Amino acid sequence: MPIKDTRFSDEKGKVLMLGNEAVVRGCLEAGVSYASQYPGTPTSDIGEYFHQILRENPEAKEYLVHHWAVNEAVATSACAGAAWTGCRSLNPMKHVGLNVASDALSVIALNGPNPGAMVILVGADPGSLGSHQEQNERFYTWMLHLPCFEPHTPQECKDFTKLAFELSEKYDTVFEVRTSTRSAHSRGYVELGPIKRGKAKGEFIRNIPKFNSLPPHAINNHVRLYERIEKIREIILELGVNKIIPGENKIGIITSGMPFGYTMEALDQLGLDDVPVLKLGMIYPLNYEEISNFLNSLEKVIIIEELEPFLEVKVSEIAHHNKLNVQMIGQEYFPKYNEYSTGLIATSLAKIFDKTPSEQMTNAIEYFNSYKEIVPARFPTFCAGCPERATLYSILKATNQLENTVICGDIGCYVMSFFPPQECSDLVICMSGGISAAIGMSTKSDQKIVAMIGDSTFFHTGMAPLAEAVGYNSNVLLIIFENSWTAMTGHQDDVLRYLINRGFSIENICKALGVPWLRIEDSYNPKKLTKSIEEALQEKGLKVIILKRECGLQAHRWRMSQIRDLEAQGQKVQEITYYISGCQVCHECSRILSCPAIRRTEIDGRETMQIDEDRCIRCGVCYQICPNGAIHKSVIHALATEVPFREI
Amino acid sequence: MKFKETDIINVVIAGTAGQGVISLKRLIEFAAQKAGVDIILGAEQHGLAQREGAIISHTRYQKKATDDPKKNLNSSLICYGDADLYICIEPVESLRRGIFASNKTTFVLNERTIPPILITADLDQYPSLEKIKEILKGYTEEVYTMNATELSLKEFNRNQQVNIIMLGFAIPTGKIPFIDIKHYEEVIKEWLRDPDDNIRALHLGIEKGNKIIKKN
Repeated sequence: MPIKDTRFSDEKGKVLMLGNEAVVRGCLEAGVSYASQYPGTPTSDIGEYFHQILRENPEAKEYLVHHWAVNEAVATSACAGAAWTGCRSLNPMKHVGLNVASDALSVIALNGPNPGAMVILVGADPGSLGSHQEQNERFYTWMLHLPCFEPHTPQECKDFTKLAFELSEKYDTVFEVRTSTRSAHSRGYVELGPIKRGKAKGEFIRNIPKFNSLPPHAINNHVRLYERIEKIREIILELGVNKIIPGENKIGIITSGMPFGYTMEALDQLGLDDVPVLKLGMIYPLNYEEISNFLNSLEKVIIIEELEPFLEVKVSEIAHHNKLNVQMIGQEYFPKYNEYSTGLIATSLAKIFDKTPSEQMTNAIEYFNSYKEIVPARFPTFCAGCPERATLYSILKATNQLENTVICGDIGCYVMSFFPPQECSDLVICMSGGISAAIGMSTKSDQKIVAMIGDSTFFHTGMAPLAEAVGYNSNVLLIIFENSWTAMTGHQDDVLRYLINRGFSIENICKALGVPWLRIEDSYNPKKLTKSIEEALQEKGLKVIILKRECGLQAHRWRMSQIRDLEAQGQKVQEITYYISGCQVCHECSRILSCPAIRRTEIDGRETMQIDEDRCIRCGVCYQICPNGAIHKSVIHALATEVPFREI
Repeated sequence: MKFKETDIINVVIAGTAGQGVISLKRLIEFAAQKAGVDIILGAEQHGLAQREGAIISHTRYQKKATDDPKKNLNSSLICYGDADLYICIEPVESLRRGIFASNKTTFVLNERTIPPILITADLDQYPSLEKIKEILKGYTEEVYTMNATELSLKEFNRNQQVNIIMLGFAIPTGKIPFIDIKHYEEVIKEWLRDPDDNIRALHLGIEKGNKIIKKN
């Protein structure tokens, strides 16, 4: 029996899905008709699935819209706008995206999403597996009163999403579904339900007190929000989302999400079959009676949750209010940082219950620790031929290896600039935090201050600080990477693509803002770029260099497809290769440019650099910068058609 | 080693971005589905694809679920020391996440190295293949290596079949039980581009594995 791809089609059955795919399926089953998000790991692929559905199923276009928003705050308000016409809208974001969206959400949560429904999907990232920081954003659910489900399996991802929409509409409340990098990208079976066609059209009906949260309505809406939350608190038991694994032990565990799975396997490993576990599917609000009943039979309770103690605070509150004689233990064994694992939980529980963890596990940890120092670091880095890497080379050359220079980094692929060997970034804050920090720094320091920003980040929140830098004529060099893609998150077909199709120009924006010193350069011309950076750093006031060069990955894909097409038509195409001969091992290409298509090897007993032909994208930067002329270019079929990279 | 149908099977796949770690993981999971496996859970890494980073994935399955929820597969992540099989598409990646291995683990390694950029810059050391094998032998005698990249380049003129060759190479270890070759073949036909090449790659791997891997 062939497995048909029924993840998003209206069929029944049990299919294997990732957590994020299951969230999208849940949306389809709930009749969602609008979704908006800014891409960010671990939630970017949610938008990709929506786009896949729209591509493969033209009928869905009649009612379903997905927007790649310019930033998270825009996406959140856009989702509220759609909900207020009576539709159901999904608003995915990563944990730090919630920081950006929180300004809008703090008001939308007061207003309520009726007549439609709205669910935010927050992808947490304990362990910072795909983010520049980790934070326990669960405190927002309390602060903004967002009832929140925390799924553990893909099945729960689907079921909780669907349920969140039903409840959101019924209780006029914005709901949250909180996944994590692990639950979003774990695969398991999901039982499919029928798909419901979303609302194609709605209408906004005027209701001034509801949608204008200013005094006096602000307070009234706050009162109503509390009323809604209290109603939801009452019905949690009926929802059947929390479950108890019973046991006779007087020490019990409360947990949720991914740590529940680790906890179950850790208990099994330690032979602790009698420990009762309360698994919370809904982490905010909590039902007082349910928590009290669970605590009542216990002498001690362990709360297992990643990052800062959220459930611990909320459970303590209930225990205190009900004067329960239960001791909260084990906090010292569970770190407040990084992600958890079965191994960590088994080790901690072994200490608490005075058990011995499995020898297999302790030996594994011990043996691994005995040799791990010899494993060479392999951090993520710029791809072969990346224009951003080539730009860092030019910055390093123009500043004599960053002498008296500060590089204010930002979020995008160039967040990797700080990694060795280039180490070309001094700080990173948040989206467009680099240019913003540079404005303040330049008022106090006479160092050369360089800020970097990519085109997607520029649109996200970068134009505002640029305007400020123009206004104060800040003594800063801003480098804008115009690579025409939101590259770091996987080249989504996002709003940047639509802007490009409409002929937008960062250059024109800079001119309109009144940038006093502006140049357009090419990362693949390092000598000219280096000179420009040198000249810019001699000038006082604000300078902007826009680097117009497409993301190397996408440029290479496009060029290869052009070549394939031409060859399929029987045309001969120039074949360019770069090769190394006479290498002096000066390390200009490996330490200052550090392209991963170059490797160090030995030929006939002599050390030399070598270019991996299958990884080189033919950007030609190493060929231009080799101080010994040891990198050579060869063109086969020189008279045949040349396929250059496309202009952007 | 003979597996019971209620045993939890743990497979780690390690490599670098762009080597097809996630595709291989999915192939095994979909083949397990074909084989009628009761519980499948697997964790994969997204978000840094193509950027030369280290990639690890976990695939776990249990042919028959038991009545006791505590004895069943509950987490998509493997516990330290609990891997039955380690498929390493790049040699040193076997060590980076070696914490999941123990004396019950079987390693299959592709010999072709992808040196991190600091190795090229001569600012860090890449251990020799002999050293890597010596460390892995500290876990188990069952360490098998082949040069799947070379075979892929020779047979297909590209390195894209490396992951499937490594799967084939791992099959004779007996550490991916309850899934038949036909299940992989069916998934390859339905889900992958160039199915003929991939099925041939699978069998090239199996052939190589049969030659050097001790039957369990």
